[in-house]
Amino acid sequence: MDFEYMKNLIPILGLGAVTTVELTILSVFFGTLLGLILALMKISSNILFSRAAGFYIYVMRGTPLLLQLFAIYYGGPSLGINLPPFVAAVLGMSLNSAAYVAEIIRAGIQSIDKGQMEAARALGMTYGQAMRRVILPQAYRRLIPPMGNEFIALLKDSSLVSNIAMVELMRVAQQMYANSFKPIEVFTLAGIYYLLLTSVFTVVFGKMERRFSVYE
Amino acid sequence: MNKVSVKAGESPMIFIENLQKSFGNLKVLDNINLAVSLGEVVVIIGPSGSGKSTLLRCIKYLEHPESGRIFVEGQPLEPKNRSFRALQQEIGMVFQHFNLFPHMTALENVMEGPITVKKMRREEAEKIAMDLLGKVGLADKRDEYPSRLSGGQKQRVAIARALAMQPKVMLFDEPTSALDPELVGEVLTVMKGLARDGMTMMVVTHEMGFAREVADRVVFMDGGRILEEDVPLNIFKAPRHERTKSFLEKIIA
Ligand SMILES: Nc1ncnc2c1ncn2[C@@H]1O[C@H](COP(=O)(O)OP(=O)(O)O)[C@@H](O)[C@H]1O
Ligand SMILES: [Mg+2]
Repeated sequence: MDFEYMKNLIPILGLGAVTTVELTILSVFFGTLLGLILALMKISSNILFSRAAGFYIYVMRGTPLLLQLFAIYYGGPSLGINLPPFVAAVLGMSLNSAAYVAEIIRAGIQSIDKGQMEAARALGMTYGQAMRRVILPQAYRRLIPPMGNEFIALLKDSSLVSNIAMVELMRVAQQMYANSFKPIEVFTLAGIYYLLLTSVFTVVFGKMERRFSVYE
Repeated sequence: MNKVSVKAGESPMIFIENLQKSFGNLKVLDNINLAVSLGEVVVIIGPSGSGKSTLLRCIKYLEHPESGRIFVEGQPLEPKNRSFRALQQEIGMVFQHFNLFPHMTALENVMEGPITVKKMRREEAEKIAMDLLGKVGLADKRDEYPSRLSGGQKQRVAIARALAMQPKVMLFDEPTSALDPELVGEVLTVMKGLARDGMTMMVVTHEMGFAREVADRVVFMDGGRILEEDVPLNIFKAPRHERTKSFLEKIIA
């Protein structure tokens, strides 16, 4: 192993790692927004909403993320939609993540005792008020562990966007390997970066879970 | 305060006319007719599965009646009417399993209705909530989360929470059935106080002592029907139906 070379690689791969984190955080953020809407649609009594959400989730979970990224990045231009790699990457990952997040949120909402919705309705709350004030705040805490898993899965899956010309940790590693032909050094260091990131976020989510469990 | 009695010609607080409800093929409420006057305490008894909960839940519109009508102070309770929400808020409900909001303190539980539904200012809601917590004897528990309260305390907070909406009628569905025996008394005491203050109440319970002492009228339900209703003395001393008699024998034995 060429440790001297590895030392030089640290800042270069570090920049890629920063992009990876940015991509992941943005995608989880938008994925969660869309996922919440999908989850509420799926549990709604409106059949049209729940079918549409169900179909979306079925398609997005049943096809590879890589295919979805290709569809957006390479398919987009033929529909007149030219997206820069970063936007295409965040869009693809958000749309994909939303499907998984929707199922997490749906399960979280449905795990809340039925009596909670009834008590809220009995106080005169509308469905929306009951969701916002009573159901979702209780679901949040239960959502933290599975959302942590989803975040970490997405962080690793973000390596796929290196295939649509997005320069993030994996792509930088590939470039450095092509330059140096030192696969052991390059990919070991990239692996260490991924491990570091997943470990940090595991700890962060663990802390969050403990902080939100004050009332139990 | 003295109990207010109905003036002649005034609409009853709650009036139920030909109420029917089925779940699938199962007829759970079969032609229920019942009137509850202002300030009256009606205790509903009957075997498990006789439709007592469903009756209260229909009045609170947690279940949609299939046919028949419910009037609150003479006004029909119909979701399509503009007055529906306002009428709904005249009815408070207390559940067997309390259903307190676990992510809110006792005080926040009681403030929640006024703030979210009535859009009341925080300070005002807090004042009302503190008064009510005092009334149910839990002022010192204001900042506790439900998980730290006993069953009896939880149910008293739940009563305060319902009262915070200033309802004209309170429905109680087996409010003490989930409690350890030694905690039943404190909840019944609160309910007796409410009755004394003139609250109109419909109470499903197996506490016959409470029925004897507090009820103006006892309604016996069986198989989705009201079999008989009368003042407690008559129901307990001289039930007219064999069913009532055997039910009372079982429950008192
Ligand atoms: N949501 C429901 N779906 C199907 N059956 C129900 C439902 N709620 C109650 N029932 C049935 O209706 C009958 C009456 O129930 P309930 O009103 O809870 O009786 P009670 O409170 O007198 O014990 C029971 O046979 C019960 O199983
Ligand atoms: Mg019941």
